[in-house]
Amino acid sequence: MSEAIWALKRICSERDGRLGLAFTIAILAFALLGPLVSPDPNVLDIKARFAAPGVAHLLGTDNLGRDLLARTSVGTRYALTLAVLIVVISSVIGSLIGIVAGVAGGWVDRAVTAVFDIVNAFPPLILAFALIALYGKGSATFVFLVTVVFIPQFGRMARARARTLRNLSFIEAERMLAVHPVTIVVRHYLPNVAGPIIVLASMNLPVVIAFEASLSFLGFGVQPPKSSLGTLIKDGFVSINQSWWPTITAALVLAVATLGATLLGEALRRVIDPKSAGAR
Amino acid sequence: MRMKLDRRTFLAGSSALAILPYARFAFAAARTNPIIALDTDIGNLDPGNRVGTTEGNIIRSVCQTLVRFEPGKLTWTNDAAKEIKQISDTEFDFELNPGQMFTGGYGEMTADDVKFSFDRYINGDKNGKKLTYADDMEALKSVEVTGKYTGKLTLKHPSAALWLIGICDASGAILSKKATEELGDKIATTLIGSGPMVLREWRPKEQFVLAANPDYKGPYKAHFEEITGKIIPEHKTSFLSYQAKELDFTAFDADQLDTAKGLADTKVIDIPGIDYTWIGINVEKGDLADLKVRQAIRWAIDIDAIIQGAYSGATSRAKTLLAPGLLGNWADAPLYNRDVAKAQQLLSEAGKSNLTFTFTCLNDATSLAVAQIVQANLAEVGITININAMDSGAYWALGADNASKDLELTLIPYTSKFDPSFQTQWFLASQIGLWNWQRWNSPEFDKLHQEGLETLDKAKREEIYIKMQKLLDESVSCIWITHGRNFFVDATWLKPMFLPNGKDWQFEFFDKA
Repeated sequence: MSEAIWALKRICSERDGRLGLAFTIAILAFALLGPLVSPDPNVLDIKARFAAPGVAHLLGTDNLGRDLLARTSVGTRYALTLAVLIVVISSVIGSLIGIVAGVAGGWVDRAVTAVFDIVNAFPPLILAFALIALYGKGSATFVFLVTVVFIPQFGRMARARARTLRNLSFIEAERMLAVHPVTIVVRHYLPNVAGPIIVLASMNLPVVIAFEASLSFLGFGVQPPKSSLGTLIKDGFVSINQSWWPTITAALVLAVATLGATLLGEALRRVIDPKSAGAR
Repeated sequence: MRMKLDRRTFLAGSSALAILPYARFAFAAARTNPIIALDTDIGNLDPGNRVGTTEGNIIRSVCQTLVRFEPGKLTWTNDAAKEIKQISDTEFDFELNPGQMFTGGYGEMTADDVKFSFDRYINGDKNGKKLTYADDMEALKSVEVTGKYTGKLTLKHPSAALWLIGICDASGAILSKKATEELGDKIATTLIGSGPMVLREWRPKEQFVLAANPDYKGPYKAHFEEITGKIIPEHKTSFLSYQAKELDFTAFDADQLDTAKGLADTKVIDIPGIDYTWIGINVEKGDLADLKVRQAIRWAIDIDAIIQGAYSGATSRAKTLLAPGLLGNWADAPLYNRDVAKAQQLLSEAGKSNLTFTFTCLNDATSLAVAQIVQANLAEVGITININAMDSGAYWALGADNASKDLELTLIPYTSKFDPSFQTQWFLASQIGLWNWQRWNSPEFDKLHQEGLETLDKAKREEIYIKMQKLLDESVSCIWITHGRNFFVDATWLKPMFLPNGKDWQFEFFDKA
């Protein structure tokens, strides 16, 4: 706990860190509180379509008269939830695979690295289209495909760390004392790998948010009536002659969310992993 | 090379950058050949198996027909034919103009090519498979070759529709026998004609280029050296491209009308629609086979809200298949205004609850708006709708190989022609697995369709087509939405041309204003 407070203080001690934290808190508050102060995001009111921002609808309405505050905040909540879920799943799976590969070495290491290379060889959007064609659209498919894309990133980092640790004397000593490999992994590898993985995870959050918005913009992400920042931008874009605010609002929220997460991730990297931060 | 950045260089560079965005306007102003938008890509260039209007429009400009529609009219004059002589109600002699050459070195058009092209509708393709548009030529019994350029058409019965939707239209395209036999299955993607234009290039999902055919011998020479058709499925996107001067002609959605009227150097064209957009219900699929479930769905959907929400109230509501003004329009067709209580009662009588269906539609903004209104409407009666929005290529591919068998509710926009038989043919039992996505099978409907084709008396035909629409209404396989309205913007320097339905574009008659 004290380490977390120490990290928070360090983040707040620099301008970018403060800005990232402020943006992230604002977006979290918007995602959590927005739906509480606005109507049902899926209720249609055809007569009120394209209503300008006002008392009844603080951010106006879309082409079917749905409240934009509600839809944008629900879309933001959806994007954040997916981003956190994907980053957690891929970092856990990727770390475990990477550590196993790094510790085992030999053919296991070569096989894992080859699989990572294969996955990385596909451009993420092309891979996404292929998987969507196979498994259909929807949140589950999205989580699955982005997780698949991100696992190699975490895996490579964990593997590299594990290979470095493997030859250190204290690990050698534990092996000589016949300590069970699982115990060594839990006691030494995981704590040493966690720092960079957390940094990488925080850096990947905005990437997932933007990726989800891109897929939804193209019609392959969240399906109606649910809203996402990508569908809101797309719907607003096609109706830009009738009303500009749906696009601007959703784009602004997306920009703040990704910028906040990026700045916060960078600040976290400087705090947790100053060596790599200095190398940028 | 070293470059010194002084104040003068900076100012020159900045000026060049500032002018850059206007360069495209300069290009647009200098354009002499039009670039236009189409919402659907080419699917199949075989005239008898074409998918929709895009191919139909291309085929009519690339191929010759015995007679061709005049610019913007439903009257026709000779094209490939030098003369057509009516011998009786069911016999016509024709003589071709000599020297009409097929592109690609496939030689001169002869009466053999006419026989070959029309026989495909009678006998099927090379494997004997019935052509998709075979019913356009239903009345044709035989084609007899009497000389190199002469022949005789014999009809099974007098027909009002044969010339209007068959011989004059894309189905009447005269193909090169030699080319078609040589190309085999490639005729779906290669079009050999002798008409005013040639299909010079086609990049799927991107664009096609039609160029003037210098060897065309008929009376209708193309006015432009080339016309580029950009495939832009979303009207709102093509409208934005038009505003950016990247296009000279595009259709646009009703809700953009005010914006369109305010555009400089632009003509707005507004043509009342005779097409038909409806929600097709697959009567064979699971719970949808229950008439009461279908009736409940019909009562639960708010068509007026769809007209307002998805079409901005710019189009009127359809009550039946045939649009007002067409022969056979059922003016007294019932209107099903939303009644949630009735819908719930019908579901309860059917003993159905927690139903879930897939609603398939195109992934354009209007279709998605319709889908979401339907989704919200049906949610109120306890029916969950999953929306399956498809790109146009995949969507129209549902019209082949029985791909439509798993559809449940589908938003379907079809184009109309001027004889009612063209519209009714898609609901025949023989179209199940092709374009009858409702999979509704009514022998009585099929019989009436045949009667309609064989009858010449207008009043009797009217009666027949109204009866057919009553059968459709009783089947509750179709929930009619709108006959549409066609809006186009075109640059003032361009004069587009289309038949009165607004969908059949005549590229060969596109001209400078």
